[in-house]
Amino acid sequence: MSGDSQRGAERRARLALYVVHGLLAAFFLLPLVFMFVSAFKTDEAQLLRDMNSLAAFAPVGQLGWGNFAEVMHNTPFVRAFANSLLVVGVTVTLGILVNSMLAYALARLRFAGRNLLLAVVIALIIVPFEAIAVPLLLLVNELPWFGAQRGWLDSYHVQVIPFIGHAFSVYLFYQFFIALPKDLEEAALMDGASRWRIYWSIVMPLSKPVIATVAVLQFLARWGDLLWPVMVVRGDTFATLPLAMQTFFGQFPRQWGQVMAFAAMATLPTLAVFLVFQRWFVKSAISSAIKG
Amino acid sequence: MSSLQMTSSSAAGAPPATVRRQRPRGDGATAWLFAAPATALLGIFLVLPFLMAVVLSFTNKRLISAEELGTDFVGWRNYARLLQDDAFWVALKNNFVFVAIVAPLQSAFALLLAVLVNQPLAGSRFFRTVYFMPVATTMAVVAVIWSLMYAPDGGVVNRFVGFVSFGLIAPQDWLRDPALVLYAVMVLSIWQGVGFQMLVFLAGLQAIPVDLYEAAKLDGATPWQQFRHITVPMLKNTTIFVLITTTIYAFQLYTQVQIIASSGTAAPVDSFRTVVMLMVHEGFGSGKIGHAAALSVLFFVLVLAISLIQRLLLKEERAVA
Amino acid sequence: MAAVSLRGIRKSYDGGVPVIKGVDLDIAEGEFMVFVGPSGCGKSTMMRMIAGLEDISEGELRIGSRVANDLPPVQRDVAMVFQSYALYPHMTVAENMSFGLRIAGRPKAEITEMVGRAAEILQISHLLDRRPKALSGGQRQRVAIGRAIVRKPKVFLFDEPLSNLDAGLRVQMRVELTRLHRELGATMIYVTHDQTEAMTMGDRIAVFNQGVVQQVGPPMALYQQPANTFVAQFLGSPRMNLLPARLLLQGSDALLRVDGLGDVRLPAPPQRGIADEVVQIGVRPEAFDLGAEGWQLTLSLIERLGDTTLLYGALPGSEAPLAVKLADAGSPWNIGDRIGLRPRAGQVLLFDAKGQRIGAI
Repeated sequence: MSGDSQRGAERRARLALYVVHGLLAAFFLLPLVFMFVSAFKTDEAQLLRDMNSLAAFAPVGQLGWGNFAEVMHNTPFVRAFANSLLVVGVTVTLGILVNSMLAYALARLRFAGRNLLLAVVIALIIVPFEAIAVPLLLLVNELPWFGAQRGWLDSYHVQVIPFIGHAFSVYLFYQFFIALPKDLEEAALMDGASRWRIYWSIVMPLSKPVIATVAVLQFLARWGDLLWPVMVVRGDTFATLPLAMQTFFGQFPRQWGQVMAFAAMATLPTLAVFLVFQRWFVKSAISSAIKG
Repeated sequence: MSSLQMTSSSAAGAPPATVRRQRPRGDGATAWLFAAPATALLGIFLVLPFLMAVVLSFTNKRLISAEELGTDFVGWRNYARLLQDDAFWVALKNNFVFVAIVAPLQSAFALLLAVLVNQPLAGSRFFRTVYFMPVATTMAVVAVIWSLMYAPDGGVVNRFVGFVSFGLIAPQDWLRDPALVLYAVMVLSIWQGVGFQMLVFLAGLQAIPVDLYEAAKLDGATPWQQFRHITVPMLKNTTIFVLITTTIYAFQLYTQVQIIASSGTAAPVDSFRTVVMLMVHEGFGSGKIGHAAALSVLFFVLVLAISLIQRLLLKEERAVA
Repeated sequence: MAAVSLRGIRKSYDGGVPVIKGVDLDIAEGEFMVFVGPSGCGKSTMMRMIAGLEDISEGELRIGSRVANDLPPVQRDVAMVFQSYALYPHMTVAENMSFGLRIAGRPKAEITEMVGRAAEILQISHLLDRRPKALSGGQRQRVAIGRAIVRKPKVFLFDEPLSNLDAGLRVQMRVELTRLHRELGATMIYVTHDQTEAMTMGDRIAVFNQGVVQQVGPPMALYQQPANTFVAQFLGSPRMNLLPARLLLQGSDALLRVDGLGDVRLPAPPQRGIADEVVQIGVRPEAFDLGAEGWQLTLSLIERLGDTTLLYGALPGSEAPLAVKLADAGSPWNIGDRIGLRPRAGQVLLFDAKGQRIGAI
């Protein structure tokens, strides 16, 4: 084959690849574009008309912050957003601390029952939340809390505490810790560091990739949880975004512009978190998926 | 002569050697301090409810326990009732139809995306991010967006379908038509989920040593032959993993169908209600805890069976390799 | 009083696999003691037990006058330089060196001074603000040593510190470490598998094999009077020649008979009774005189190294060839030549059936 036609064939193949990529990218991006663009369309009638054509994805016509303002002032959005931030933030942060501590004990410390505990934690990974949701509901109904009221329903702690301990997070930390070179911790032992000091000053600073992975995975999972809030939260005071959105979505008359504004603001944090952390997350998440 | 002795002589007057036997020192107390918080949390909020589910499934417990009703041990009655409950079978059927279509479809799609993204092309990283964006989008939001896109008159989906079929396919009410709603949910679920499985396949692809392809190229294999004879066999374990996890996620289907059900403009709930949705409505909506617990246990057994199948299949592969 | 004293030390791993099978040893204050031996002989494990990183199953360890078996590493007053240096990657050099002091709660001014002084000794003062990944191998090693010096320990432990360096750097660091020892006057225990390091650096060396100390003493003593065939062949390069032989007494003379080589006559040893126990003899490659008489060897290989020549010849009934080292290069031999070898008097070591040295002639 002559050099020219070979290069030509390569160029054509590359072009074809870009076309395919372009079409797929459109498939994956357009719904999101649609959401963002519709959120800015303050004329509801126009929004509905635009859906019939490509104008659905174009920021045309009457645009403005009107929908966003409506949602922020006249719906429980702001409260729900704050609730989500609080609940997810606390759960993820405490989760990283507590799960990595357990993983460190399993990875580096010798104690009676270690092997059994490790096996149990790994076995717990496959227990789906749906299988325990109902008995968990019963359980939290009976648990005491400060302030003498019985049961945990309709509160912050009911949405946080059951989710701090997470078997898969423990597993991810464990895999990472056992791969760290042991002599760093031995050197610290020789320097007189306590186990806690070693964990806090040596191991965790070196664990940024796995911390990022666990943070992103847990953030995504907790931010979007609807099942548990549906079961334990009433009203708006403690509702997080997915629940608030379900309520708003079920209200009539439905203003799609506002619904889209609500949705856009609700999902912006997860998109942002992913974009910021994607370097670390992509690399270590998939390697641990393979090991699983 | 000192060099003939095994040791150098110790100074006169050194204390006699005492033979001490020691047990290996463990890290006991420290270890439990590290392990206690997570162990306690997992124990109380995961293990305990799980055991409760098993026990409760054999009772007739109710959410609001009135003194007069009490709770009795009822043996297998909940399970029997479940197996005779039409709603249960319909929900199970919905799940199975969903799995049967989504698992292979989403997995194949994920493989395609992974292969595309793996090509040495400028901008692959960008496309990889784009394909993953839906995964980073909250599922409730995804359901809402697609609800609008599925609008019966002048919806984006109808317009697209009409365009692609040259007007042959009329606009449908995707979410209100009981025959179509499940498929509509499938599309949006695949849209949201395929990015993650793509990453898993990508890792599997990148683990295949490049020399295999180079050797095949020297032997004159075409790209398609390389794919069939190198890529596919080397991806066996990854494929099994992806299929299994997609299957498990498909059985856990809840959020998107719940959002659509609560939208008020959807098909009769039977046509798309899933097992998990049923469980929530039963146990929580009607307060029949015993019933819902039986459902939970069945659900767990199902997931466990699927996971075990995966381990078996993977172990065989590893033994052969 | 010894700086470190080991009595009846034994160690087995879970499952009963014995690693150290009885070690008794004293290390004097200010001594540079080398633990040397092949891989798996237990020398690293022994050092880690002194450090406190491994448990001692049986026996007593004393550091100074204190029994140290149950003390955590920091209370044993020892510092260790790891083979991989084990520098904390996320800390600067200064932070690496001061970590132990910061944990001990020393005042900041004191820490800065001590780190500064150690950095001066090792000539790394200009590197204090760098991270380990910005340092060369040799520099990283100095930082590792600096971290140990700063703690002012009673005993320094070095775990194969030079094995990650290239050859040229290794020679340079050998000299540096010896200088450091003289300057600090500290007790140092040094583990290596390299017999050159052992011979050149140690005040005394302890040869480990299979969990026991085969022999301990000054390098030259072990070289000239090895206790058994293992020590004899471990030190020295090329290895000592071990020849199956018989000793026949004839009046005031003794006949050394090696099958395939012939007989050589030497003055008889003073203890006449050992003659019957002799099963092997050892002759170092440099301990031969060449001539027409003596053992007859056909040369199979000649290596000229520039300053020395090595001659090899096959020994019937043995896999290893006989090696002869000559201290000049201008030698006229070719492969296939036949030469006569006479071991020098006094430099033939006699070994019995158990491999123990029983005498010399």
